[in-house]
Amino acid sequence: MYRAILFQQWRWTRLVVVLGTLAAFAVPLFSLRGAAAVMDHGTAAGFLGDLQSWGIAYPTLAGALGVLMAVTLWAPDHRGRHVYALALPVPRWRYVTLRYLAGLTLLAAPAAGLALGAFLASATVSLPPGLHPYPLALSCRFALAVLVAFTLFFSISAGTARTAGVILGLAATLVVAQILLSAAGTDADILMPVLNGVLSPPGPFAVFTGRWMLVDV
Amino acid sequence: MSEYAVEIDHLTYRVKRAFTLEDLCLRIPAGSIYGFLGPNGSGKTTTIRLVLGLLRPAAGAISVLGHAIPAEAPRALKRIGYVPEAPHLDPTLSVSEAIWFHSRFYPSWDAAWAERLREAFELDPVRPFGRLSKGQKGKLMMLLALAQRPDLLVLDEPTDGLDPVVRRDMLGALLDYVAQHEATVFISSHLIHELERICDWVGVMDGGRLVADVGMERFKTGMKRLRVAHGPHDTAALPFRVLTRSPDNGSGTESWLVRDWAPEMASALAAAGGDLQQVIDLDLEEGFVELLRSFRGPAREPAHV
Repeated sequence: MYRAILFQQWRWTRLVVVLGTLAAFAVPLFSLRGAAAVMDHGTAAGFLGDLQSWGIAYPTLAGALGVLMAVTLWAPDHRGRHVYALALPVPRWRYVTLRYLAGLTLLAAPAAGLALGAFLASATVSLPPGLHPYPLALSCRFALAVLVAFTLFFSISAGTARTAGVILGLAATLVVAQILLSAAGTDADILMPVLNGVLSPPGPFAVFTGRWMLVDV
Repeated sequence: MSEYAVEIDHLTYRVKRAFTLEDLCLRIPAGSIYGFLGPNGSGKTTTIRLVLGLLRPAAGAISVLGHAIPAEAPRALKRIGYVPEAPHLDPTLSVSEAIWFHSRFYPSWDAAWAERLREAFELDPVRPFGRLSKGQKGKLMMLLALAQRPDLLVLDEPTDGLDPVVRRDMLGALLDYVAQHEATVFISSHLIHELERICDWVGVMDGGRLVADVGMERFKTGMKRLRVAHGPHDTAALPFRVLTRSPDNGSGTESWLVRDWAPEMASALAAAGGDLQQVIDLDLEEGFVELLRSFRGPAREPAHV
């Protein structure tokens, strides 16, 4: 069953997987080679500065891969109102687990692509004294970010449109409430504590924030 | 093992306020071909989805092949071949891929027979499901349902909108399978003449209620139109049921639509003062239409047999 689900999901998501893997492989290579070119004419600080400008690419790519994969996996089932899936002789929890595991398996390709690109870039570029490459740490962080994004949006996509609507509605209510409070001239801030709770450790999206560096001191 | 493949007891299901199934009781004898009739929106597809565990009832009990539904639906579904009203297969998979994908979920899958059916149905193995014609999609769905060697086939309008040749091919394969395996078939359709040919039991739904549940022969032979003169006002004591009665134009007689009729009942009508002038046979379609008409009339009453 797992093989069948994996094959089917590959058919649906192969474009996302292939392009995501190529991008994940290319980002560390381009970032390090670009920074090394800058260093030829400048300083180590310039090297780090240039490298840091690529940092946003990693969480963005991880988030996009997780979201696209999760949404693409459930779209055909939603289109068919889940009739085919529900008529299969498999408990619902098992069907969802199989879909989740197959999605993770496919996402292993971009994670591996990034690891390969990071190790290759680290091995082929000579770094200024005092700087060290962290390809393993970057690869693990990227994989974790992909896992978090995929898991969250897989859960939302697996539910009904009503569930997704409730979640989006809560988020929208929060934003509107903050705008109204600000317009009323109060100092009350209800948005920041929520954002801090989500984006700061141990919040679920903490992995996306902070510096994403292949090379650091 | 139960003598019924499907048992539904006092089933209630509601979709907001738009539609309800109320207190539905239904038995499908094991080994029978049960035709499920009813106008659009009468609750046929909803009942089928409840039987398969795709929907959860508000009240009542469903048992399919001895398994409680929806609690044991996955176990029951291993033994059920289902052809849905609209085919929901992945449109990107080719015919052979769709067959392979489906086969992974059924331990009893008969690959050799699936291949023979594919050839008999003339399905191109490399053609994507999304590019098949309506008839080819219907054939593929029937192939998938049959090749898993089910004990129960649940077919939701499987041949509606298909041309006669495709319908003949599909029903031929179905009847071959049933003859060999003594499987039960639960089939809904608007094609009443088609059901008349193949079914040995019939249920009629209307407005979320089962208005008839009877053997096909009894339904066909028991539904008659009588032309009666001097018919008694009170028909409750008669051994058959009068569903509707209306005066014939200018002839002084009445036209009665009756069910549970048998020729020997003419004497009971005569004893009540009625003069039976003619007995007119109805085919299944006429019987079905008249039954619905009587059920929807002002003197609406339960009509379970």
